[in-house]
Amino acid sequence: MSAERLARQSFLGPESEKRIARSTIGVCGLGGGGSHIIQQLAHIGFRRFVIYDGDVVEESNLNRLVGAKTVDAAAETPKIHIAKMMVYGLEPQATVRAFPCRWQDNPEPLRECQIVFGCVDSYQGRAELEVACRRYLMHYIDIGMDVHGSKQGTIGGQVVLSSPGGPCMRCVGFLDDEKIQQEVARYGKAGARPQVVWPNGVLASTAVGLAVDLVTGWTSRPLPYVYLVYDGNRGTVVESKTVRNLIISACPHFSSEDVGDPIPIKL
Amino acid sequence: MKIEIRIGAVFYEQILEDLSRCHPFAAERVGFAFGRIGSLVDRGALVLLTGYHAIPDAQYIADPSVGARIGSEAITEAMQAAYHGRPTRQGVFHVHLHVHRGPTGMSETDRCEIPKLLPGFRSVGRQAAHGILILSLNHGAGWVWLPDEPEVVRAHSVNVIGKPVEIFESEDRK
Repeated sequence: MSAERLARQSFLGPESEKRIARSTIGVCGLGGGGSHIIQQLAHIGFRRFVIYDGDVVEESNLNRLVGAKTVDAAAETPKIHIAKMMVYGLEPQATVRAFPCRWQDNPEPLRECQIVFGCVDSYQGRAELEVACRRYLMHYIDIGMDVHGSKQGTIGGQVVLSSPGGPCMRCVGFLDDEKIQQEVARYGKAGARPQVVWPNGVLASTAVGLAVDLVTGWTSRPLPYVYLVYDGNRGTVVESKTVRNLIISACPHFSSEDVGDPIPIKL
Repeated sequence: MKIEIRIGAVFYEQILEDLSRCHPFAAERVGFAFGRIGSLVDRGALVLLTGYHAIPDAQYIADPSVGARIGSEAITEAMQAAYHGRPTRQGVFHVHLHVHRGPTGMSETDRCEIPKLLPGFRSVGRQAAHGILILSLNHGAGWVWLPDEPEVVRAHSVNVIGKPVEIFESEDRK
């Protein structure tokens, strides 16, 4: 890599280039959010990726899937292919291990990551990713957006950081059993959910900023957890009210003992 | 076959803090960390450290020829930990600190003394990974003996999952 390539981000620290290049990043879901994330990570100089998405590009993706072109919808190009082309175009030395499936169908490669981005649609999917990240000691950064209401929509979204040993998505008030159960009850009734490109861009950029901070430590601020709430109608990203007075010394939902491969118990 | 040792940041700081304490007569400290296996592709493995046992001052033996020598009581406790770790396949890792910055590795004394412990751990905890972890002030190196493998191998990296994420790769020493 030429010295010029990353010269404008040298403020991230003298070791930042090396730290970024040797980190392995997972991205689960390469749609509206994940495609922004992979693009930004490649620009920044990340080189080791493990990515998952079983879908192909469709016409309805073209309003937000970064890197996808009209021809990709016609050709039904796999989304992992779009992501790989994005990375290799910016980082020819990169290693992209791409899987055209859900991460649950091939979980072992994901465990090599130090940071995993969850760009999945469901609460259940988020919960499963967080469990995997806790079990194999990985930072988990979740992003998601939704449009509420049918007449004048309200755009909302979130960026959550859940790190081993710190408060989890349940601790910060983002995830609970009720949300998951309601989602299960709605399964198949929701239809296509509204998605647009700019909220995904805001959320992805915020998430990538967290990852760069985790890898380089450039801000020197502690990051035991993050729960940021996006209001797309106001154009604001603020810390969730639910974490303002959060006092948690240890996450009650994940024990430090529950790591590694699960051990079957004889009954 | 890729092998990586992974430690949470809080736990890593606890280990460094304990090993940095002065001992009444030993020049350095030793501890035992406990780790579980996470499987990777191609028979690779993560060793995820989950706990740490600081060795009490009284369990050291005065021996000026080495930085630290621990007595049979400390080793017995580590063996017991390996034995009691069988249900969760939790192995034991000998840990100590080299007080310098940058990549580190085994000294001549380390090479002669520490690997002798591993067959004992393995004899009581055959399904677990056991090994050695040597830390410097800002780096680290590990050796792992996986179940069903014939010998101890050097870990490709020791990772600390905190802020910043630390990735201590074995290639750094070359």
